[in-house]
Amino acid sequence: MLRLRNVKTYYGTIQALRDVTIEVAQGEIITLIGANGAGKTTTLMSISGLTPPRQGEIFFMDEPIQMLSPEKIVALGISQVPEGRRIFPQLTVRENLEMGAFLRRDRAAILQDLDYVFSLFPVLAERQRQAGGTLSGGEQQMLAISRALMARPRLLLLDEPSLGLAPLVVRQIFAIIRRINKEQGTTIFLVEQNANLALHVAQRGYVMENGRIVLADTAANLLANEAVKKAYLGI
Amino acid sequence: MDYFLELFLGGLTRGSIYALIALGYTMVYGIIGLINFAHGEIYMLGAFTGLIVASLLTVFGLNQYAILVLASLVAMVYAAAYGYTVEKIAYRPLRQASRLSPLISAIGMSIFLQNYVRLAQTSDFLPFPALIPDLAFMEPYAHIIGSAELVILLVTAMVMLLLTAVIRFTRIGRAMRATAQDKGMAMLVGVDVNRVISITFMIGSALAALGGVLIASHIGQINFAIGFIAGIKAFTAAVLGGIGSIPGAVLGGFVLGCTESFATGYVSSDYEDVFAFGLLVLILVFRPAGILGRAAAEKV
Repeated sequence: MLRLRNVKTYYGTIQALRDVTIEVAQGEIITLIGANGAGKTTTLMSISGLTPPRQGEIFFMDEPIQMLSPEKIVALGISQVPEGRRIFPQLTVRENLEMGAFLRRDRAAILQDLDYVFSLFPVLAERQRQAGGTLSGGEQQMLAISRALMARPRLLLLDEPSLGLAPLVVRQIFAIIRRINKEQGTTIFLVEQNANLALHVAQRGYVMENGRIVLADTAANLLANEAVKKAYLGI
Repeated sequence: MDYFLELFLGGLTRGSIYALIALGYTMVYGIIGLINFAHGEIYMLGAFTGLIVASLLTVFGLNQYAILVLASLVAMVYAAAYGYTVEKIAYRPLRQASRLSPLISAIGMSIFLQNYVRLAQTSDFLPFPALIPDLAFMEPYAHIIGSAELVILLVTAMVMLLLTAVIRFTRIGRAMRATAQDKGMAMLVGVDVNRVISITFMIGSALAALGGVLIASHIGQINFAIGFIAGIKAFTAAVLGGIGSIPGAVLGGFVLGCTESFATGYVSSDYEDVFAFGLLVLILVFRPAGILGRAAAEKV
């Protein structure tokens, strides 16, 4: 479904991604793990078109997308839940969700999807009229995921959804991520620093170091891998 | 009491024009953090366009109201085209540059537009026809407020309500607020940020042009340099109210207009600018974010 081939992305003269090659199949949950600054967020931003790669190719449903603008990429069915959630702080919860459906015109279906995300996260329904910036961290993460779902994505990019959240909330959010994958068939590309958690949710994983993919395997094998255990699982 | 009312309403009229121009400053600032110093020139271009259209239509013998409406509309469309173009050639290429570069580009654009009009038209003052007719029912109140002032107040109030509604309730309004709050995230949900910025410039420019036509018809003359002082005053109004805030721009305009009007009426017209800018200094000392500005100002 998604294929990155030898992607090289730069910030000015600094190279952030070095020949990144990743493949994601339809319906899968894959994860990209790695230390801070390894290039995980840059990988997602390259897919979304905010930091387009200087070299290499990105295919989505066999179409090259590396030269498309961000809004075209969203329109093709790729939505991102960015690191730090990035809720529009002064828009209401409802308006944040409507922004998620910005490119859609199918009024009736949008309302259905609104009901769907409210069924996933009932707390958002209660807070519809509240400004997004007044929500707690966990609620903001729920809103960020819901906002991305409002675009009816075929591929959902999740950047550090566990960051800064209480363990109980993290468990709740990961249960919902699994549920979205099952119920909607949405393919999920999960970036996480919490490798243990990520590898238990995902079917396959990639390990990134200094802008390079150093390991790619099934989640089970990565969990058993000695190097991964040492570097990322703290065992 | 009548004198006070007259000064107050005169101040509101003046202030409503400042507010119309200030909206353009504040919306553009809210969305890209740029003080668009060429904005006063857009107002001037609007007044000139209004004059040309009004002169043409007078030849055809249309009635006054039709001329007023058509001259305003054409001026607004024309100014919107200018606003779009200025953003595209003078600011967009500098979007990633340091904050100083677009500011200098804006000042350059301002000088260019002034001199372009000076060359294309004239450097003399041109008489501007009074497009707003005297209303018979206003006769008894003429010592408090003139018909032109009443019309200016009503039109600007309507336009401001309309703008508020657009920003609060429409899809493009939501996109503008989202873009002002987080440009990158707006892109991630599929907003064409360049388009939103263009539309913001166009709306701001159209409002300035409307202000230009209305006030020129009231004052009765224009020249190529009127945009400078009007621009500075409107910018003051925007800062006074809290730059980036839309209600702030409107409030700032009214406060500034009334201050000037009272200074003129009770002290001397020579001192109106002293009071206007003195007020700005006071606000900046005691409330640096402006009257309605917050630490994290509500943008657009």
